[in-house]
Amino acid sequence: MADPFFNSSPSRLPIHWLAPVMLGCVLCLPVEALDYQFHGYAAQGYALSSGNNIFGDSTGGSLSYYEVGLNAQIQVHPRLLLAAQGAIRDAGATDSGVARLDYALMDYRIVSGADANAGIRIGKVKNPLGFFNETRDVIFTRPSILLPFIYSDNQNQRDLVFAAPGVQLYGSAVRGRHEWSATGTASADRYLNEVDEHLLVVLPVPSSIQMKDSWNGQIMDSIDGGRWQFAVSIYYARLVLNAQYPSVPPASIYGNFGVGVDVISARYNAERFSLTGEYAIGPNRDFVTLGGTVIQNFRIVADSGYLQGDYRINSRWSALARADAYFRDRGDRGGHAFAAANPGTSAASRYAYDLTAGLSWRPNARWGVWGEYHWIDGSATVQPLDNTGRVPADHWSTLMLMAGLRF
Amino acid sequence: MALLCAPLGALAGSIEVIVNPDHASATIDRNLLRAIFTMRLRQWPDGEPIQVFVMPDGSELSNEFCREQLGTFPYVMRATWDRIVFTGTGLAPTVVSSEREMRDRVRSTPGAVGYIRSGERSQLLPAQPNVLLAPLGGFWRG
Repeated sequence: MADPFFNSSPSRLPIHWLAPVMLGCVLCLPVEALDYQFHGYAAQGYALSSGNNIFGDSTGGSLSYYEVGLNAQIQVHPRLLLAAQGAIRDAGATDSGVARLDYALMDYRIVSGADANAGIRIGKVKNPLGFFNETRDVIFTRPSILLPFIYSDNQNQRDLVFAAPGVQLYGSAVRGRHEWSATGTASADRYLNEVDEHLLVVLPVPSSIQMKDSWNGQIMDSIDGGRWQFAVSIYYARLVLNAQYPSVPPASIYGNFGVGVDVISARYNAERFSLTGEYAIGPNRDFVTLGGTVIQNFRIVADSGYLQGDYRINSRWSALARADAYFRDRGDRGGHAFAAANPGTSAASRYAYDLTAGLSWRPNARWGVWGEYHWIDGSATVQPLDNTGRVPADHWSTLMLMAGLRF
Repeated sequence: MALLCAPLGALAGSIEVIVNPDHASATIDRNLLRAIFTMRLRQWPDGEPIQVFVMPDGSELSNEFCREQLGTFPYVMRATWDRIVFTGTGLAPTVVSSEREMRDRVRSTPGAVGYIRSGERSQLLPAQPNVLLAPLGGFWRG
């Protein structure tokens, strides 16, 4: 569990209480007040890589990567909105293709005005982290097929970061050229399911991991109608591991892992081009005891950042170029200290550099086709569960294609 | 039912914002316009839900409206609406297929707001004697 941008998997969390509450709200209001919409998306991907698998068996070419979602919003009153989205996504070992409730929330607007508004959301809500976490599963709304490293696309932190049951406060205020917005989320304590655990930690004995003290916040400034956008996002959670080691007598394994991700984001939008840069730093505190004896106690800080340029060639075609980097330990970016201390490991397993070039075609608002090529140096972001039995390649590349529909 | 046009003439733009006459007294400045069309504002001061109508992505009128009246780019507006829709935090605007449909829907929908090309107003006057034209240019402080 030492990877500071930790790993996880799909969420099927117990929010059974939410459905009757939402239904009750709807039934209590006059029918003529209802305003509702349905939207959805579907996209099929293709991955062809050399050296390492990504999102399935991509070294032989893989069509196993896809994403589908359907959502509904019901505005029962201008101040009260109910919304839910179901989604299915298959992305190799990191997403299983099992249907899940992506979000389901009740949004109550407390303050409503042209210059300021504020409200509260309750339910399973999306966590704002960087510019793209909230809509990361929709190809039409993310910056590329594969997200930059700060979003841990191939690690899957879905249950940890992407969305969570909890309470979210939000607000915005317009002051001159600036539109400030803020969101703060307190997530409920919860146990991870087996699949999620497996992506986090592999133990030969039954174990449980509970997420505690999880919260998230973001402040964003949008200037001149979005020409400039700046954001600061913070995420923190504590994971508590409990297991029994089958010794005689049995010894208890206890782990306490503090994980955080802080992101600063900046974007400049012009008529033809956009420039986007984001930097994330991920401190990770690991503390593990076996039978009361401390066997692991350290702190490690990962960081990652990218710079992406998008150029809109015309109303249908757009091109992108991106330089991206990730380091598991910002104090050992080259991985040499780690490799020296762990014989048999590769220094390249501690970092990843990715140069990306891409092209997209949007013939209309509903359809789109994307293609991109990644030249990657380093294996820090290679998903082990997609590469079982393989020695990670330090220099590798992947072609990603995707075709999508939205409505 | 009458249709109220807010031509925002002070901007010297070619687009007029139109609102349902129920809200003829609304003062529409750029902050309010942005709040409405980014779907941040859900209700008029009297509590009535705001119904937002827009032209399709990529249409000339939509592009001009975003640039001239909202002071932003069409793709930024699209990203804003997508973020709302795919995070469950609001409703997307209703897309109409023509300016005629825009006028009809805004006229017939309580709380509606949309936009048309300025020239359409005079062209429509003879055919649509019931349309009330009430310039609100003085309210605009673009």
